[in-house]
Amino acid sequence: MTEAEAIRLFKCLSDKSRIQILKSLAIEDMYVERLAERLGITAPTVSFHLKKLADAGAVASYKSQYYMMYSLKKEIFETSILEILQEKSDEAEAQARRDAEYRQKVINAFFEYGKLKAIPAQKKKESIVLEVIAQAFEFDHIYSEREVNIMIADFHDDFCTIRRDMIGERLLGRDAKGYWRVKPER
Amino acid sequence: MIEQKVRKLNDYFDRQISLCEQCNIKLLADDRMDEAAFEKVKANIYDVFRTIFSVAVQNGKGDSEAVKSFFILKTEQIPSNWATAYNKAKQYDDAVKMQIEQIKLDTVGEIKKMFETVWEGEE
Repeated sequence: MTEAEAIRLFKCLSDKSRIQILKSLAIEDMYVERLAERLGITAPTVSFHLKKLADAGAVASYKSQYYMMYSLKKEIFETSILEILQEKSDEAEAQARRDAEYRQKVINAFFEYGKLKAIPAQKKKESIVLEVIAQAFEFDHIYSEREVNIMIADFHDDFCTIRRDMIGERLLGRDAKGYWRVKPER
Repeated sequence: MIEQKVRKLNDYFDRQISLCEQCNIKLLADDRMDEAAFEKVKANIYDVFRTIFSVAVQNGKGDSEAVKSFFILKTEQIPSNWATAYNKAKQYDDAVKMQIEQIKLDTVGEIKKMFETVWEGEE
């Protein structure tokens, strides 16, 4: 179930008459007049609610002799709320796209011909810039401090600050043997 | 004299509007939002035709036939758009719009019937 479908379903369910209709259909399939009689509301009102429920994917209809019968779409109600919440958000892609656009904008602003023009003062921007520099390092390789300095100096003269910040950002790891590129958690 | 009939119809409009308002409150409290909205729609129709009726009475200047023809004409003219809207909604399978237009048509039908009963009745 997509996020939009879940919202439509929940909106549709927030009505006592519709809940009563669903409760009746949980017992057995019924036609409009039978539901109207059972619930004490008019047949046109029942039809209206059934249309809304059908649009939300909560009920289905089929013809049986002269009657249009309505049934509960049980599979919809077998879905747990947690499953709905764990569904990938429709917004996720748009958010990821916006993040990527922002990232590219920062890279374009701070890099020129592969050189870092200035170390960004803003933490978020600096993180992006440092991630770009980190890509010059290979995974599973131990670098000496001199090698690290030379590689960073290809981007910017202030290699000391950048090296220290890369460690702070956990882009580089360090111990007595040397430096290495930290693998992202995911 | 038509004063008695006018009073009777005004009482009817007031009563119906009050009933709709009570139903609306009751349905809202019972979490039946759409049906509560339908009661509001009905109340609006009664209100519109209460106004039309007062205009008919004012313009009729005591002439029972003039009041009747003006009011009946309006009960036919105004809902013609609603009937069109209903058919269009039906064409697009828009149940919400269909229901609203149907309520408006049913309500005006009821008003017309009540008007005729009162207006043609014994004084």
